[in-house]
Amino acid sequence: MIEVVASMARGPVFLAGELMECLITFTNPMSHLSTSASSEMLAWASAQIHCQFHASENRVALPAQGNKQDVQADSDTVLIPSRGERGQCVLDTPPKILFCDLRLDPGESKTYSYSEMVPVDGPPSFRGQAVKYVYKLTIGCQRVNSPIKLLRVPFRVLVLQGMPEPPFPQDEEVSPSNPFLEEEEASRRDARALERALDMLMVTTSRRCPHMFNITNMRGKVAKFCIFKTVYRLGEDVVGTFNFSEGDIPCLQYSVSLQSEEEIQEQYQRRPGQAISVTGHGRHLESCLHTASSHFSLPVPLNVTPGFSTDIVSLRWRLHFEFVTARDPTEAPTVLQNQSEDTIWAGAEHVDVDTFSWNLPIKVLPTNPALASYVSQFTGTNSIRI
Amino acid sequence: MYFLTGWPRRLLCPLRSAEEPFYIQPSSQRFYFALLSETQLSIWFSRPSVLIVSYIASVKAAAQFGFYQKAEWKPDDSMIAVVTAKGYILLFDVLGGRDEKSLYEPVYPKGSPRVKVTTGYKEEQCAPALSLEMKKPVDLEVPITSLQSLQEDLLVCTADGYLHVLHWDGLGSNGHKAICLTTIPFSLDLQSARGGPSLDLEGVYIRCMEYCVTLDGFAVVLSDGRLGFITPLSSSITADQLQGVWAADVFDGTCVAVNNKYRLMAFGCSSGSVLVYMIDTTTGSMQLSHKLELTPKHYPDIYNKTGSVKLICWSPDYSVVMVTWECGGLSLWSVFGAHLICTLGEDFAYHSDGTKKDPLKISSMSWGAEGYHLWVLPYKQERRKQEEEQQDVEMISPPHPSLQAGILQFHFIKSALTVNPCTTNQEQVLLHGEDRLYLTCGDPTQIHSTSDTHSHLHPRDGSPLHRPPNPDSSLSQGLSTLLGHKHWQVVQIHSTYLESNWPIRFAAIDSVGQCIAVAGRRGFAHYSLFTRKWKLFGNVTQEQNMTVTGGLAWWNNFVVVACYNFTDQQEQLRIYQRSSNLDNAFASVTKLHSDTLLLNVFRDMVILFRSDCSICLYSLEKRNDGPNPSVSVELLQEVSMSRYIPHPALVVSVTLTSVRTETGITLKAPQQACTAESIMLNLAGQLIMLQRDRSGPQVREKETPVVNKKLLPFCPPVVLAQCVENVWTTCRSNKKKRHLLEALWLSCGEAGMKVWLPLFPRDHRKPHSFLSRRIMLPFHINIYPLAVLFEDALVLGATNETVLYDGLQGSTEPLEALFPYCTVERTSQIYLHHILRQLLVRNLGEQALMLAQSCASLPYFPHVLELMVHVVLEEEATSREPIPDPLLPTVAKFITEFPLFLQTIVHCARKTEYALWNYLFAAVGNPKDLFEECLMAQDLDTAASYLIILQNMEVPAVSRQHATLLFNTALEQGKWDLCRHMIRFLKAIGSGEMESPPSTPSTQEPSSTGGFEFFRNRSISLSQSADAITTGKFNLQKTFSMPTGASAKGRDAECAENMYIDMMLWRHARHLLEQVRLRDLGCFSAQLGFELIGWLCRERNRVARVDDFVSALKKLHKDFLWPFPVIPVGSLNSPLKNGRCRTVLSAQLLKSQSADSLLNSDMDSAPPSTTPTNHTWMDGIGQRDKDMDTASSAHSDPHSPQTRDAFLSLLTNKVEEYSIGSATDLTETSSVVDGDWTMVEENSSALCLSQAELEHISMELANKGPHKSQVQLRYLLHVFMEAGCLEWCVVIGLILRDSNVIKQVISFLDNPEVPPETVQSVRNGLLAVDSWVSTDCLGYKPFLSLIQPQLQQLIEVTSEQVQPEAFQPASQTSKLSAAEGPGGAPTPRAEDNRGVVAPLGLALPSLEPTGGFPRLPSEDSPPEQTEEQGEEEGTYDCTLS
Repeated sequence: MIEVVASMARGPVFLAGELMECLITFTNPMSHLSTSASSEMLAWASAQIHCQFHASENRVALPAQGNKQDVQADSDTVLIPSRGERGQCVLDTPPKILFCDLRLDPGESKTYSYSEMVPVDGPPSFRGQAVKYVYKLTIGCQRVNSPIKLLRVPFRVLVLQGMPEPPFPQDEEVSPSNPFLEEEEASRRDARALERALDMLMVTTSRRCPHMFNITNMRGKVAKFCIFKTVYRLGEDVVGTFNFSEGDIPCLQYSVSLQSEEEIQEQYQRRPGQAISVTGHGRHLESCLHTASSHFSLPVPLNVTPGFSTDIVSLRWRLHFEFVTARDPTEAPTVLQNQSEDTIWAGAEHVDVDTFSWNLPIKVLPTNPALASYVSQFTGTNSIRI
Repeated sequence: MYFLTGWPRRLLCPLRSAEEPFYIQPSSQRFYFALLSETQLSIWFSRPSVLIVSYIASVKAAAQFGFYQKAEWKPDDSMIAVVTAKGYILLFDVLGGRDEKSLYEPVYPKGSPRVKVTTGYKEEQCAPALSLEMKKPVDLEVPITSLQSLQEDLLVCTADGYLHVLHWDGLGSNGHKAICLTTIPFSLDLQSARGGPSLDLEGVYIRCMEYCVTLDGFAVVLSDGRLGFITPLSSSITADQLQGVWAADVFDGTCVAVNNKYRLMAFGCSSGSVLVYMIDTTTGSMQLSHKLELTPKHYPDIYNKTGSVKLICWSPDYSVVMVTWECGGLSLWSVFGAHLICTLGEDFAYHSDGTKKDPLKISSMSWGAEGYHLWVLPYKQERRKQEEEQQDVEMISPPHPSLQAGILQFHFIKSALTVNPCTTNQEQVLLHGEDRLYLTCGDPTQIHSTSDTHSHLHPRDGSPLHRPPNPDSSLSQGLSTLLGHKHWQVVQIHSTYLESNWPIRFAAIDSVGQCIAVAGRRGFAHYSLFTRKWKLFGNVTQEQNMTVTGGLAWWNNFVVVACYNFTDQQEQLRIYQRSSNLDNAFASVTKLHSDTLLLNVFRDMVILFRSDCSICLYSLEKRNDGPNPSVSVELLQEVSMSRYIPHPALVVSVTLTSVRTETGITLKAPQQACTAESIMLNLAGQLIMLQRDRSGPQVREKETPVVNKKLLPFCPPVVLAQCVENVWTTCRSNKKKRHLLEALWLSCGEAGMKVWLPLFPRDHRKPHSFLSRRIMLPFHINIYPLAVLFEDALVLGATNETVLYDGLQGSTEPLEALFPYCTVERTSQIYLHHILRQLLVRNLGEQALMLAQSCASLPYFPHVLELMVHVVLEEEATSREPIPDPLLPTVAKFITEFPLFLQTIVHCARKTEYALWNYLFAAVGNPKDLFEECLMAQDLDTAASYLIILQNMEVPAVSRQHATLLFNTALEQGKWDLCRHMIRFLKAIGSGEMESPPSTPSTQEPSSTGGFEFFRNRSISLSQSADAITTGKFNLQKTFSMPTGASAKGRDAECAENMYIDMMLWRHARHLLEQVRLRDLGCFSAQLGFELIGWLCRERNRVARVDDFVSALKKLHKDFLWPFPVIPVGSLNSPLKNGRCRTVLSAQLLKSQSADSLLNSDMDSAPPSTTPTNHTWMDGIGQRDKDMDTASSAHSDPHSPQTRDAFLSLLTNKVEEYSIGSATDLTETSSVVDGDWTMVEENSSALCLSQAELEHISMELANKGPHKSQVQLRYLLHVFMEAGCLEWCVVIGLILRDSNVIKQVISFLDNPEVPPETVQSVRNGLLAVDSWVSTDCLGYKPFLSLIQPQLQQLIEVTSEQVQPEAFQPASQTSKLSAAEGPGGAPTPRAEDNRGVVAPLGLALPSLEPTGGFPRLPSEDSPPEQTEEQGEEEGTYDCTLS
């Protein structure tokens, strides 16, 4: 028996274009003291990243396509990383051989480091109502004359769309470098790519540009709404303020929901004019009848997928507002001082109301993958025994 | 703990009125708020915050009674008493609170598709409809100063010095008692003889009074500013049964608020400070517990200008107090005085442009339900002015009054510990706000260990001790970006549950931080982070039929709840399973006999504290018999505490712990260390411990129906500490960290933290008799502690941060412009240095050492040591008086116990002022010696740091000498960055010598500052991007590409200095070549910009010769990880033999590989070498590098590639296992560079290998070295060709098995310019190789036979040429070097690589791939083609299907 453990040290979340590293350890778990222990052999092991796409039958109409994967699927010696998975493999990296002919003596253990650039041009990990994109690292290994065994390590990919291509070749890289310097520069280049992505992310999301909106319905002005920016990173708080004191129409309640809209591109829609699937990710509800000003703060969860668009699906983010307003624009009664009788003012029992809603599109961008790793449902580690 | 969050909400009274509310009084449950203005009484509801009803007095009534002043609610909310200016008490009946009528119910238009905003079982949030009805007023005829509602009575103080006790029912008629203040005897304590009535109380009245239930008495502020406490001696309040005590020496009291839970009285003074008193239980006197004062340090402009204290407000759970002054502002303090927030400073007080804001003046304030809100009535004028302005702007205001009054609602989030101090809440930081929960995300250890090293380290400002983050490790980069992120994971409480059960009263998190449970008014709900789902009661009736009373806690996968069941009218202990539906069907219910106040879980035990002052222990046992796992609960023990606890409400927390003091009887079995040994009870801030009584005969408690468990009774309680806010213990155990895990941690408000540390005898010797077994050490931290991470020696906390949003919007100043936006951030702090230092001060060095050693593996341990030295140094060196018994030598000696000693000292020195260095080094030793120790220990970076010290303390000659020494060592070890810096350093010294007079160590002359600056810059640049380093390298090249022309004499010095450095570089190059370390030579030249070709030309006939071809070849194989060729399968038909051969090879590779690229971050810097001595230092480097990486010193090589560093810290304990199996892996590790060696066709993802093909692949791979080595060898070959070092060309040609190279060289030997020794040497060398190959390495045989013709030719030629050569060797050499002339001159390195093909006419196609294109159309040379083919074949095999 051989135990295979794959573990992503950095955590299970990566930014597309980042170098993913995974340590794969092969162990012969038998104690070398035990008499029955013997050496174990593995013919080869290879690893590759692939992205599985799965679409809901009744929402997405995919063009019929040849099942090219079934070619030789019966043969045991073909490594198809996505075998046994739902959906189709939309993207895979070239397989890398970890070793050939590995012999492990009892108690022995060997670790290989697999590293691969997470493809830049792929979709982000996404689990929507109509479409799913799931990334996995699949490690295939085979004993001689046995079927291939697959070890899958699911991970999450964040895509920062619209990131400028690295200005390559850069000045210092133009000249053929001395081969004795090569190593550090390569790794520095990789690090720079991530840094640049994160810098860009920070710059875009930390810029504050307040937007003011006058919330008005057919009866008059309800409130003034201010949002300080419209681009957010995962994990940030969406903060907005309301000022009701300037409104003419009393507002009884308002609610703000953070929603994502998943829309199938027209040519793939199962039914024409098919509704967009909307998912809520947090809601602020407040009664605001006698409120002059208030604010809400909605956290963008770390586990959601930032907005993106592929040829099949696009995901957009918005704030969805709902207001319950009174029908009569009641002017606040004035208490007259010098009255001869004690008076009691009491609130109205019933208020005739209207409801209306409003949407404000916002942008949600990825965050540092290390941060997202801490709340990931994946562990970045998996193991099998073969 | 409480934290301010967001902006305050502003409520607006729907009525316009000329009057402004100035007084707010909450009802007992804080669901209603009574607001008073001069002639109006209004009632607001808490949620939704709306005005319910307003009573407006008529002119007649106002004239008769005077304006309204104060109000009080009857405890059952059915009545409000309002005090008026003319001494009347007006009573209002509050009607309608119970019937179901509600206000502001929205009526949706009929027929229209109704959009219902609130989903849930209840309709929209509505306020209950109330009405007010005035009853007959009571006339007391004198102005009323204070009003206090008791259970049945209303206590009224009047300005004539009387105290009236009135019955709520039938007020004014029966039961009206009036007590004159002068009849109450006052003294300093209750013990002193009861004197008669105090005479000096004539004309004095009670200005402010509050009743404290748990002290059973009144805290009073008299009109003359004195503070007192009046206690009734009997159960009823009668004139002759009252006794008062004074607070000594205070005459400026203004107001008072009592804390019922902690039995404290907070008196505000006109000086601006708040004095918090407690009652000494033995003497009955008032004792000052602590003061709440703004410090001049944090509030320099306001601390003594606040005016008198205006209001004091304890939060509903009594864990914090809000204070406001005459000048305004809000400040929040914990119960024992830890300062949390003050709005008189920073962003609260200043606009972003630096102008000062007007502080918010407050006329009245009140906490809302559960302390989530603070209702604040802003002071009149202030607000009126502001609103007038606003109205002016809007131009709609009627000329006179009619403004709408505003109320501010500040939002707070609080730690779950304040109400529900169960053990799991102590291990995690859990905060809850009104509608959401805040959790730390991820593994706290990992996040905080690093975050800490970047904050809170330095007592002054944190900057000098900031460790530059290791810039090159991707992992640490990830973490360091995480540091900037102090976010929480925010979980919104399910709105359905929240809407019907607001406010949330209890929250609990499980020990792994994955599950949370909350309980509001009724029922409870829980959430799993993993599924991100809430679980609510499926049956709403079940939810509404229970209310959580004593808190809730997690036990494994179960929620333990102490609740009251409304259907059965009884108190119950219920245990619900997490995974099943939330339903009573899946709960195990135990009936309890008395109300539960507190609940906690310890291992498999539940501990309850009940309102009858007894403690019950229950055992929990999971049962798997049914379809669902259930829990069986069994009562283990009941301990009555009524003797010790005066009032059950005083108990803050109750915990079972394994902590025990030694009472003479030692525990036999070690596992008993983890049993429930004692009960810790926080009784109003007094921590008392009840230990199990092991002294007596081990009798079983009678009432415990336990079968096989012996439960010992508890000893009488012992007081461990005072003023305790929180206690942390753990039931985990760790043999290695016993000190930390068995300690008891306390947070004590302004007094900081305390640790009750166990002391262990070393080596299990008998403890000294004088050594107590535990010691209480206080220490200060800068954060409010919320969780103690035992193993990590860290404290986690949270702080309030503010963001200004002003200046964003135009003229109308909205709320967000007046207040900053508040956020809460996570913080953490290390404390170990405090403890170590205190142990050293107490002569417990042995304990300190044991403690420190157990923590030495923590990532921030080096900082602990550094901080310790730093703090002691600053303290002692700057002390004005001589210190009789300085601690610094002890600390220094202590640190020598750790390998980090040298590093710690130098880091500390460089972060302290120069003036303190003499004091420091007098204690720790001469810096010269320390420098040499670093060299001995091969710790070059640290040595470099010492060089700065030396440079400042010694004459230049000394530092130059040391610098040279270090430079040579750095060269030897391939520390290229250091080399570069040393070159610059040496130059700086040189120029400094010329320009300034010889320095004395005491003064800092400009030249040395230059060097110092430089090093400073360097340490800064470590945290910068890698670009800085590259530019440094390029600068260096420039300096090499001089010669500088005619210049001033300063130039001469520079030249001399450059010459000196060049000499050293040449010497090193010679040394490398002599030792056949070509790889090192390549790195050396590449890294330092050393001009290799020119130098080789000069050395062509000296050191650049090869004496022993065979050993040189072997050495190259080894250095470049180049496998020895294997004979093709055809000739060696035994696969076994083949395999064995490879095994040997791979074993060898393993070693070098793992040592090289994994331990040592830079593969080039420490090449493997043959000599055993080298081996040891190589290992040493690996080891040290590892240490340094964990220490992540400021001097760690900034050039080391990122990814590698990350590996280091992760794999430290796995180094042995970490091995690379076969030759394939060589490429694998370097796959960063040439990752696509197995690149297949884009579309083919299939792979199939047969046994035979496998063998073929491995054979191919075994015969070829790593691609990178190949490129490097080709490069070297090129260089040697260029320089005309033919012997080396042959050797490299051999190893590359490139017959063209050999052919070319041999044909070139015919050239008459080649010295005959060279020809001879090549001939002999090849012959030697041939004979070695025949005996030892058959794999070379095919290749040798390929070049056999040339070899043959060579042998012939040489024999011919022997004669003429002997005649004019000199001229030939000179000619040749003349021909190579330009090569001798320094040329930029970049040009070395190309355009140099000409002189020897050798085309070297393999140079092209160095540009980073590993896949090259292989057309130029046959050998290259075979290499490429090897690759392609591998690929081909992969794609075969």
